[in-house]
Amino acid sequence: MTPRPGLIGAILLLIGWQALAMELSLGLILAGPLEILRWLFEHSGLVARALGRTASNAAAGFLLGNFAAIFCAAIAVLWPRLQDLVLGLALAGFCLPLIAIGPILRVLMGPGEGPQIVLAALAVHFTTLAALLIGLRAVPAVWLDLVHSYGRGRFSELWHLRARAALPYLFAGLQIAAPAAFLGAMVGEFTGAERGMGVLTIRYMRALDVPALWSVALVAATAAMLAHAAIGALARKLLREDPPLLLAPPRVPAARSSLLGPVILAIAVIGLWAAAIRLAGLSPFFAKGPAEVAAALFHDPALRDGLMRALGQSAGLAAAGYLAGLAGGAGLAVLVTLRPGAAGFVLPLALALRAVPIVTTGPLIVLLLGRNALGTVSLVAIMIFFPSFIACLHGLRQAPGQILDLFRVHAAGPLAQMLHVRLAAMLPAFFAAARMGVPAAILAVTVVEWLVTGRGLGSLMALAASTSDYRMLWSAVALVTVIAMLCHAGVAAIERRVLGVYAPEQMRP
Amino acid sequence: MMISSTLTRRGVVAGMAALGLARPAWPGTPVGLQLSWLHSVQFAGSYIAQDRGWWRESDLDVRLMQGGPNAPVEPPVVAGTALVGISAADYTASAVAQGADFRIIGVAMQKNPFVIASLPANPVRSPADLAGKRIGMAIANTPVLRALCSLNAVDFDAIRIVPTQYSAQPLIAGEVDCLLCWETDLPVAMAVNGVECLTMLMADHGYAVHSQTYIATRDSLSARRKELLALMQGEIRGWNDYRADTDAAARLTLRMFPDAGLDEETQKLQAARQVPLMFSDLTEAQGFGAWDEASVSANIETLAHLGYKVTTDLWDRSILDEIHAR
Repeated sequence: MTPRPGLIGAILLLIGWQALAMELSLGLILAGPLEILRWLFEHSGLVARALGRTASNAAAGFLLGNFAAIFCAAIAVLWPRLQDLVLGLALAGFCLPLIAIGPILRVLMGPGEGPQIVLAALAVHFTTLAALLIGLRAVPAVWLDLVHSYGRGRFSELWHLRARAALPYLFAGLQIAAPAAFLGAMVGEFTGAERGMGVLTIRYMRALDVPALWSVALVAATAAMLAHAAIGALARKLLREDPPLLLAPPRVPAARSSLLGPVILAIAVIGLWAAAIRLAGLSPFFAKGPAEVAAALFHDPALRDGLMRALGQSAGLAAAGYLAGLAGGAGLAVLVTLRPGAAGFVLPLALALRAVPIVTTGPLIVLLLGRNALGTVSLVAIMIFFPSFIACLHGLRQAPGQILDLFRVHAAGPLAQMLHVRLAAMLPAFFAAARMGVPAAILAVTVVEWLVTGRGLGSLMALAASTSDYRMLWSAVALVTVIAMLCHAGVAAIERRVLGVYAPEQMRP
Repeated sequence: MMISSTLTRRGVVAGMAALGLARPAWPGTPVGLQLSWLHSVQFAGSYIAQDRGWWRESDLDVRLMQGGPNAPVEPPVVAGTALVGISAADYTASAVAQGADFRIIGVAMQKNPFVIASLPANPVRSPADLAGKRIGMAIANTPVLRALCSLNAVDFDAIRIVPTQYSAQPLIAGEVDCLLCWETDLPVAMAVNGVECLTMLMADHGYAVHSQTYIATRDSLSARRKELLALMQGEIRGWNDYRADTDAAARLTLRMFPDAGLDEETQKLQAARQVPLMFSDLTEAQGFGAWDEASVSANIETLAHLGYKVTTDLWDRSILDEIHAR
């Protein structure tokens, strides 16, 4: 039996890693596999307890967020008029900057596991809902006609047809949600949790404990990857077919040409915000309503200038990393398709790395690349790269077989097939990844700014929370959320124009 | 055999507490003490008071609420989730400017822990040495450096700030000449990693900002006075015991918080290094947590350099005075 190339590659990688770590100049940045193993062996109890706590919070948030997503999806299908609003509210929740709402949740919920679970739930809700809504529509019209001919209503339709059709999509959504929940729980721990992987990360970052930092990062990454893989395995067992890797989320409300949808959504968001503050009886010291935020943004030039300066610092880095990540993901997917032998090695690696939580690896990557713009841009790019690579690869494989056969008959090579057929087939997947990447890029840039570089919006939001500048904090939350939603809508608008030409079948309602 | 050896009484109690199952058996009044950072020997005086049951004796069930990088201290105190918070004069002044009604009722760190840390080959021994140096620091601390410069007539623009957030690595790697940090964290981390550094305590050069201050709302000072007295009494006793044996305090911290990822040597070193910041001739004469008018006016001046306008009303010695009068 010959060893698999993947195994040899992994062994070479480990040896190279160890050699690099033994280079003295890197000793304060990089820990090798041997050091990590020793550290984990000596601290196995500590890490196991921390992992248990973070994983159970992530699991609770995962259940909460996904049940909420299933409930919202059912509402959207039973009352289609509500779909735009439900999806828009979920998107708003997904676009909220985790760093800024962490302290707000801690104040609301007090000591305990509350913020960790809620942040985990928020991190998964939208992606699962988006996946479910596509799945619930993936039903042949004739089947629906059959149900209707028996005189049954929308509820029977949902129960007997749509729910079953949506299962593969649900599992695909859950697979992405598992690592996201883990990341959300870790960010939640920064708000004063007693134990967990996030607490250990902060501790070891300050203590300059390099082997500990790498060990914690490795364990957190492995846990997230295992959750990802376990759901994939469960889906294969239950469904007897692979879940669709890629989620093509449905159009966002802003995609409608009418202005009514966004206006209704804005009114709903502002109404919910004001009502929540009033109903919870929050102290005006830290709870700022829409009116106060509007007053701050429009009538306080100092606050506005500070916010805009930070926004300017972050926006350039986030945009550069976002575009680099998208281009890199699509580019590598094209290369791998042209050289199919490489896919077997690259795809599992990319699937696994997509699950790595940025909170633990972010500081390490910036440590390696430097505290300059390059480090931050690279980190954002990495965060965008893996999902878009996987999505694009899947899209490239969707090219219709008959058309490719036609090309082969005419002796047109892989390059011609790529240019004329596959790239067009990749576009829907590419744009889905581009839309989902908007909040991811904002999360990445703010986390790096907060933990490592101390600039931009991430630092501003953390500083505002620590100096009790709650008008600034709530204003930053509102501005970042609105910008994220506008960028999302902007990508959706480009998508509509491009797909209208290259993939009109995607434009069906 | 593993099970029977680990099933000690303390282990079971700790385990139940970790699961949130244990409810205090005594009928104490529940109060929260919001700490300003992750559990560490930085708050060991409170742990001693908790561990020896001094709060329980005065019918107080104190919950020590951990802080963190994204866990502000002031809101839980405003909301009443915590009766007392561990803040610092500048953060308290900032919260008061935003409408919180706080009073400082005790000062744990007489001397502000901010230092400029440098390596012996390229030392910073006085503020004048800063000219022409590259300093690694969190951008958020720019006002702190600016205040130090104006207090010592150093040209702020002659210093090059390198944003490094909170890490000692850039100093060791030679990316910067010095760091702005706390006496008790990065220098300790470097020492444990075998790197000895010089520290210049900013408090010795006019930077007077009371740190690790106990804050409470004015409402609590009138409505919950009994609890405040009992809480601060426990703190005073705890910190006096801490001073008598800092190594024991470090060991207690590790025992009480096995999941905090603490290292015993680091904790012992940190415990010893914060003693000179917390105890002085003034506390010798007037007891732990006290302050005098001279230090308040120095604070008011430094706070003005930082951009905060406060008056002597921010400090309220009535709780400490009542405890010491007993």
